[in-house]
Amino acid sequence: MFANFAIDLFVTAATFGRLVTGQGADYFLFIAPGSNLITAMVAAFQSGRDVWREKYIKDLTSYLLTLPVQRPVLAFSRVLGGVVRSVIATFPGTLVICYLYGILFTPKIFVAYLIVGLFSLGIVGLSMAISAFSSSIEMWVTVRSAIQLYLSFLSALFYPVSVFPSFLAPIVSSNPMTWAIQAFRQLSPIAFAQVPAGDSLGSILILAGPSLAFALLGTICYIWYSKL
Amino acid sequence: MSSSPTLANGLSKTTIAAESPTHLILQMALRDVSVLFRTPWIIITRALSFIIQLFVFAFLISGLIHIPGLNFFEYYAVGSVVATIASISFVIGYDIFEEAEEGVLDYLLTLPIPRRQFIIGRALGGAMRAIIYTIPMFVIVAFVWGFNQPLSILTALLSLFLLAFGVTGMSITVAVSVKSANRFDVVLALLELAVSRGSTALYPIAFMPFYVSLFAPFSPVSFAADTARSSLVGFTLDLPAIAGLVAFVVIFLGLGAAFYFRRLEGGIYG
Repeated sequence: MFANFAIDLFVTAATFGRLVTGQGADYFLFIAPGSNLITAMVAAFQSGRDVWREKYIKDLTSYLLTLPVQRPVLAFSRVLGGVVRSVIATFPGTLVICYLYGILFTPKIFVAYLIVGLFSLGIVGLSMAISAFSSSIEMWVTVRSAIQLYLSFLSALFYPVSVFPSFLAPIVSSNPMTWAIQAFRQLSPIAFAQVPAGDSLGSILILAGPSLAFALLGTICYIWYSKL
Repeated sequence: MSSSPTLANGLSKTTIAAESPTHLILQMALRDVSVLFRTPWIIITRALSFIIQLFVFAFLISGLIHIPGLNFFEYYAVGSVVATIASISFVIGYDIFEEAEEGVLDYLLTLPIPRRQFIIGRALGGAMRAIIYTIPMFVIVAFVWGFNQPLSILTALLSLFLLAFGVTGMSITVAVSVKSANRFDVVLALLELAVSRGSTALYPIAFMPFYVSLFAPFSPVSFAADTARSSLVGFTLDLPAIAGLVAFVVIFLGLGAAFYFRRLEGGIYG
C-alpha cells in the first residue's frame, strides 16, 4: 500500500506538480493528500472484497455466524475493522502528508487521521454493500471500478470544483472525496486557490453525513446478506 | 480442421492431435480472447475508465497546463491508449493465477496439446485480446486528433502489439512465480503502476522529477508510447524505442515461458 502511495505521490503528483501552473500554490501540495485518500479508498474496498471471498470462495460465512456475537454487532465490527485496517494502511502516508503540510508536530495530525478514518468508514460500508449484491467477482470489480472512477475523477482531487462544467458541479459537490480532500487542504497553512479559508470542521461535518449513511448501509446489507 | 473459435469446442474433435502447431497455438489464443469477452462488464468498465480519463481528467487538467509547445490533451490521449493496453495485458496473469486456484488449469493440462503450444498460445492470446480491446479506443483518439496516415497507424499498432506481448509475458512470469494470492495481487498491481506511471506515456520526461527521469526512458510503456507518438504525430520511426520494445518482448516472453513450463512440469503440476 505504501509503495502504491509512494508511486502516486512521488512520481505522478510530483510530475503534475511541475506541469500545472496558476493554482496559487504548489500544485504538488494541492494534490498530495489525494494520493493518501486514494490509498485509503483501495484499502477500504479490500474489506468488501474479503467479505465477498469469505462467502463465495472460502465458505467462511457460516463459521462466522456461529460465533457468539449478535449479528448487528458482528456486522458493525466488520465495518469498523475495515476502517482500522484502512487507517493502518495509510498510517505512513498520512504522516508524509502531515510532514509536507507542516502539521506533523501539531494537534492537527489527529484531525488528519480523523479525516482518513471518516472517509474510509463510508467506503468500507459501500464496499460491503456491494458484496451483498454481487454474485460474481466480475460484477463486484465492475461496481468498485465505477465508484473509484467517480471518487477519483469527478471530485476536487485533481482540480478545483470551479473548473467543471456547471452540469457536473452538483455531482462533484456531492462526492465524499471532494469534502475529504478539502478538509485535508484546510489543515494546511498554505492558501490554495479556490479552497475556502478556515478550519476543516465544516468540511468534516459534511463528509460525516455520507460516511455514516454508507456505514449504516454496509451494516444493514451485511446482516441481510448473512441471512441468505 | 476445426473452425470453432474456442479451444474447448476445438479440442472436442478427436482429430485435434493431428492439428498443426500453429493451429493449436491459435486455438489456445482464441480461447483467451473469448474468456475476456465473456466478461463484458470488465470491458465496459475499462472503456468507461478510458473515456472519463480522456474527456474529463485530461480535458480539465490540460486547461491548467500552460507549457508553450505542449498540447497536453493530445499528448495524454496517445499515452492513455498505451497505458490502457499495458493494463489490459496484465489481466492474463490474474486469469492464469485464478485458473490454478480454481482447478481449471488441471483440466487445461489434460487437453491433447503440447506444453510449448499451450504456453505460446496463452501469451499470444493475452496480447491479441489486449489489442482487440484497445482498437476502439485507438480509433476514437485517431478520429478526434485526425491521425489518418495508414503507415503511421500501422507502426503505432505494431508498437502496441509488441508492448502487449511483452507485458503478457511479464504478467505470466509473476503469476507463476508468486504463490500467495495476496502477494500476487500486490506485486502485479505495483508492477502495473510502476511501468505505467514511471513512463513517458502520461507526461513528458522533461517534467518528471530527476529520480524518475533516470528510469522512465527504459520502461517498456515508454518505448511503446514514444514509438506511437513519433509515428502518429511526427511521422518518423523511433528505432531505439522499437529495439527496446523488441528486447523487452524477447526477455519477458522467454522468462514467462520458462517459468510457466517449470511450474507445469516441475512444480505443483509435475
